[in-house]
Amino acid sequence: MNNKISIRIDGELIPATPGASLLETALAHGKFIPSLCHMKGLSSVGACRLCLVEVAGVNRLLPACTTPVQDGMSVTTQSDKLRRYRKITLELLFAERNHVCAVCVSNSHCDLQSLAQRLGVTSVRYPYTFPKVPVDLTHKKFALDQNRCILCTRCVRVCAEVEGAHVWAVSSRGVGSRLVCELNRAWADSRY
Amino acid sequence: MSKAKVATVWLDGCSGCHMSLLDIDELLIDVLRKADIVYGPLVDAQEFPDNVDVTLVEGAVSSQDDLRLVQKIRQRTKLLVSLGDCAVTSNVPSMRNPLQPKVLLQRAYVEGADVNHRPPTDGVPALLRHAVPVHEVVKVDLHVPGCPPKADAIAFVVTELLESRKPDLAGKVKFG
Amino acid sequence: MPRITDLSSFNEAREAGLAKLLPPTPRIAIGMGTCGTGNGAEAVLQSFSDAINQRGLSIALARTGCFGFCAAEPLVNVWLPGKPLVILQRVQPNDTAAILDDLTAGRIPAGLALCRIDEWDHITGHVKYGSGFPEIPLWNEIPFFKGQKKIVLRNCGLIDPTDIEEFLAVGGYQALYKALIDANPASIVESIKAAKLRGRGGAGFQTGSKWEFLSKAKADRKYLICNADEGDPGAYMNRNEIESDPHSLIEGMIIGGYVTGASHGIVYVRAEYPLAVHRLETAIHQAEEWGLLGDNILGRGFNFRLQLIEGAGAFVCGEETALIRSLEGKAGRPTPRPPYPADSGLFGQPTNINNVETWYNVAPIVVKGPAWFTETGSPKSPGTKVFSLVGKVVNTGLVEMPLGTPLKTFVYDVGGGTANDRAVKAVQTGGPSGGCIPQEMFDTPVDYETLAQLGSIMGSGGMVVMDEDNCMVDVARYFIEFTHSESCGKCIPCRVGLDKSLHYLNRITQGKGTEADLATLDELGRMIRDTSLCGLGQTAPNPVLTTMRHFRHEFEDHIRASRCRAGVCEDLALSPCENSCPLHMNIPRFLQLLKEDRLEDAFVSVVMDNPLPASTGRVCQHPCDDRCRRSGIDSAVNMREVHRHIADSIYPSPRFPDLVARLSALRKPSTGLRCAVVGAGPTGLACAFYLRMLGHDVMVYDSNPNAGGMLRYALPDYRLPKEVLDREVELIKLIGVDFTFNTRVPADISLNELDQRYNAVFLAIGTWKENWVYLPGTELTGVIPALPFLESVSKRETVPLGKRVIVIGGGNAAIDSARTALRLGSGVTILYRRERKDMPAIPEETEAAEAEGAKIAFLASPHRIVGSPDGRVTAIEAVKTRLGEYDSSGRRRPIPTDEIVRFNCDTVILAVGETVDIDFAKASGLKISDRGLIEVDRYSLETSRSKFYAGGDLITGASNVSGAMGLGKKAARNIDKRLTGLKRWRDLFPKFEYDQAAPAHPSDSRRHHVRELEAEDRARTFSEATVGLTSVEAMEESCRCLRCDVRTGDH
Repeated sequence: MNNKISIRIDGELIPATPGASLLETALAHGKFIPSLCHMKGLSSVGACRLCLVEVAGVNRLLPACTTPVQDGMSVTTQSDKLRRYRKITLELLFAERNHVCAVCVSNSHCDLQSLAQRLGVTSVRYPYTFPKVPVDLTHKKFALDQNRCILCTRCVRVCAEVEGAHVWAVSSRGVGSRLVCELNRAWADSRY
Repeated sequence: MSKAKVATVWLDGCSGCHMSLLDIDELLIDVLRKADIVYGPLVDAQEFPDNVDVTLVEGAVSSQDDLRLVQKIRQRTKLLVSLGDCAVTSNVPSMRNPLQPKVLLQRAYVEGADVNHRPPTDGVPALLRHAVPVHEVVKVDLHVPGCPPKADAIAFVVTELLESRKPDLAGKVKFG
Repeated sequence: MPRITDLSSFNEAREAGLAKLLPPTPRIAIGMGTCGTGNGAEAVLQSFSDAINQRGLSIALARTGCFGFCAAEPLVNVWLPGKPLVILQRVQPNDTAAILDDLTAGRIPAGLALCRIDEWDHITGHVKYGSGFPEIPLWNEIPFFKGQKKIVLRNCGLIDPTDIEEFLAVGGYQALYKALIDANPASIVESIKAAKLRGRGGAGFQTGSKWEFLSKAKADRKYLICNADEGDPGAYMNRNEIESDPHSLIEGMIIGGYVTGASHGIVYVRAEYPLAVHRLETAIHQAEEWGLLGDNILGRGFNFRLQLIEGAGAFVCGEETALIRSLEGKAGRPTPRPPYPADSGLFGQPTNINNVETWYNVAPIVVKGPAWFTETGSPKSPGTKVFSLVGKVVNTGLVEMPLGTPLKTFVYDVGGGTANDRAVKAVQTGGPSGGCIPQEMFDTPVDYETLAQLGSIMGSGGMVVMDEDNCMVDVARYFIEFTHSESCGKCIPCRVGLDKSLHYLNRITQGKGTEADLATLDELGRMIRDTSLCGLGQTAPNPVLTTMRHFRHEFEDHIRASRCRAGVCEDLALSPCENSCPLHMNIPRFLQLLKEDRLEDAFVSVVMDNPLPASTGRVCQHPCDDRCRRSGIDSAVNMREVHRHIADSIYPSPRFPDLVARLSALRKPSTGLRCAVVGAGPTGLACAFYLRMLGHDVMVYDSNPNAGGMLRYALPDYRLPKEVLDREVELIKLIGVDFTFNTRVPADISLNELDQRYNAVFLAIGTWKENWVYLPGTELTGVIPALPFLESVSKRETVPLGKRVIVIGGGNAAIDSARTALRLGSGVTILYRRERKDMPAIPEETEAAEAEGAKIAFLASPHRIVGSPDGRVTAIEAVKTRLGEYDSSGRRRPIPTDEIVRFNCDTVILAVGETVDIDFAKASGLKISDRGLIEVDRYSLETSRSKFYAGGDLITGASNVSGAMGLGKKAARNIDKRLTGLKRWRDLFPKFEYDQAAPAHPSDSRRHHVRELEAEDRARTFSEATVGLTSVEAMEESCRCLRCDVRTGDH
């Protein structure tokens, strides 16, 4: 299946490979679609909902990361509604845990932070949750700070799909979801 | 033309935002030509005055006193600006929030103290359960994030406001 | 064990089953679903079995599933050879002996009979039970079953779910046999498509199309899954289907496997359904033994294995991709589609998932064909749907109705309306992610599209009826709390968005919400709906979005007035009685003060809450009675009579002056501000009292020569003696309120003058204009309107009244007119066009009128008044009515019949409702509402004209005393806030120290009622008809209070 197809992204005609996702195709052509859970080389999970786009003829929003391109597809990546929803999504993430950028080791090299700046977030309209979440400092070299976790599961997938180690998983559900190491062991007790 | 009345206030923050405000340097002279600073750490006024045009609020709302003051400010101010991350997100002051204030005071004043093993009670306002951003307790008209916001951004905000324009902060400030 | 391999072995098994269903002896079958056993069916079965053994009776005893009428469990089917099957209801173990006696004597226990079944259409088969017992209604003549069509539930409650032979006897596995013999899978897929069978799990996708996808998928192994992970609170159709008829599910799935090429089936069933799991396991085992499942089914070479997996109870596992992950042993979190399960489902193989109920529709369509199926239901949604009808209806249970049936049929006909005469407010469909549909929209047909248009969903068929005791904000909060705790947490909108939505809803139910919260909730709800990964998140905001759309006023009540009318949100109400009282009297407080023997404190507490306690103590509609939690033990505390007692103990006593002084001392210092109150009725008096207590100068204007309004001029003396009212007015005068009588507004003083002279004006004119019914003959001499009649009598004027009086109407004015006419020596008949329970009058008053000799003709609608040649009334003719459809008030609409009844009479009193004479307002800059009343802000009572406020009947139409006074009180609070700019209201009320503990042993005493004079005695006189409680009785009533107002722990 080497035959190329073409799609339209924000009006611009773009060649695409059948089977590729909308997001890959857009990024490959310099089109910006925000995302946080997507990472090149990993499977897509469609969890962060930031890459939702409008597809002509489809009456709901589709995640670009898990939607395969189809010939003639016409995609809108920027609209008032999408901008509004993306901002809400980011604000919800900031409100969920304790993201204190000023003292964060990732300050200024953080996808969440830079996306917020790029999408024009200047404050969070929702009340902050301020949850008490654990910090695992047992490992010799690494620390796991749940305060900053946005449950993108990139680490889970890298560990499973790239390393083949399957150390990480998400336990519990809802806002109680937590990243856990080997069925909830301390990191230091991991075999890896 | 009468001069605009501008106030600044320092709630739970490090005063870094005020430092950044002073960093607007010679522009300060222009500002003072157009506005009087009627309240704040930079001037000697005991009571927050009525009919203030613009108030720049630095810091999170952390204590009963902060709360009362900011509510009063809201009533007496036309335009309320959250200046800096503590006011906008509650930032560093919010790091205590996952803990109960009682636990916090115990840790700071009893476990961590060499003498006087008790939390202060006289003359210090009670802590709120959470240190919260200003807009969680009163309506805020403009958010100027940054830790601290750059002097340029503050200069821009103040200049625009004094010209009665709503500043467009796109690209000038950095959230988080 | 016989393996069915050909037609003859099939028929043999059917005959054997039929012999069990229709044995030569009587047969008893007990409903043993979870609902039956929960209601004691186990003991009933044991009792039957013991008795039959002891007596050595030749009676077949069997278990069956549930016939659906859960409210009448335990259900027992009894059958005598040649006779109809009779379903007995609410059978208890101690009934069994008598039932056996009857059966052995060839009789049916008539008292327990619910209905009879002469013959039954099992769709795939037919059973003729017999004929007889015409006195017992047929099953579909019972309101609960009327209109139901049992396709899915065709076997439920009639056969033994653990006996495959009985299933075969009613046509079970016929469809499978047909499918395998015909050997044309594609035609079955076509049939399902042509039948337009839609997924009964809620999404409503075409089942035929899904099957087609799977049949076209190429793979070594394909899976069929039955989703039996029924997790909606209050929904239990799937449980009952499996418990009562497990083989129909198996048959549907085998057929599905055959036509789609799937060799493996899995039933994913809730672990919390042990009985369903057990019966399904038994059925699978039987089907395998009989050669209907497993290898070489029916000898036709088709192999299909069925496995049962118990789900661990996550709501999200109802979502198909999450269910598949759960089956794979992973965490139950949904994955994005594509890939669709038909391409890559369980273990990456092509998979099809259908809901339990969808599978139950397969065999009937295969046997009867798609054309038969589409005869039922609506064009886009053919067939039936099983609903679990629960909530505030009399008849709860499982109902199977054709799709497209209007909602009101469910609520009023099948459900039988509400049990306690409370108005139905809404129906919540579709479980926790459905929406609420308001009563005004009950004409809505229940199908996939229409429900979706209203913001709700069909879901799996939950249907919860809500009445005025349900707070819609709390309903939204409850469901969001549920979906919030069931969200898997994978995607951000659902995980965090629901958490924040819950935060706002909690805030609103605590009275801490803001109007900005509503906008935020709405925006957030839409965002969660549009952006969530799976169905759970996409539908979770429905309860919020629909309640905010249809019940916005309730949200606003919580936010703007800290008011939860339903009394559900505990933070917003002191106690249920206080919440129901239009004056918000602190009832537990005055009861407790009286209990502590502090009569004077109790009086101050009462008067400060309600400045006319002796009057309301006699005539209030007492909504508090309906809310009192004591009625859960025996009956409500008689709160109205206790406060009457407190008032009556002080007013005529020597302590009165001291208490006037004590109240005067509570008055705020003079503000020098001037307020006018127009109308000295209860509304105006209440407002004047509070304005004066707040320190303002108050002048009350009234066209009459004395104060009291309706209390004085419309209420007869036997209900409220004038001297009682006089003392209450005296108190208000002593507090410092001034009156100007015999002055009409605007004839004697214009609104502009009032505007100039006063800082605020409160308009509180009553409903003095009688509605006139336009009947032929109303112009005759002897036809009089009720209010002027009552007014004349109360002013001691002579009223010419005939010997035979007809009163038309069913409200308090009608009853007052009737009782007054009786006292004037006339014979009285009341004509009312609806039923007794629809009468707006206070029930005690109606009963008293009847005791005094008034007759009431119900369902009689006046048609014409007949006169003599000289123009005098001689008779009235009324059309008998029958009850038709339910109208928007939730009452059944009277429909005229051909029958006309004639009542000879010489006076007709019209009491069909009163309205306000609004003419004065029209030229005054006051906006008039669509209802012809003065328009005000609901919360502040401000009119469109600045400084002017209005309350009472002027803004609500005719209402009752306490309701009107409540508005007067509210107006005073808002007027003061406007005049002073301060929130001083709470400071006005004195604080009392009193015991704050719920009584460990509330008094066992029964409710004390007022004593009524003997009917013959009281009917001749206008003196008060009742004698209030004695001190001892009042004290005992106080001790009956459970003190719901006491807060413990965190409050």
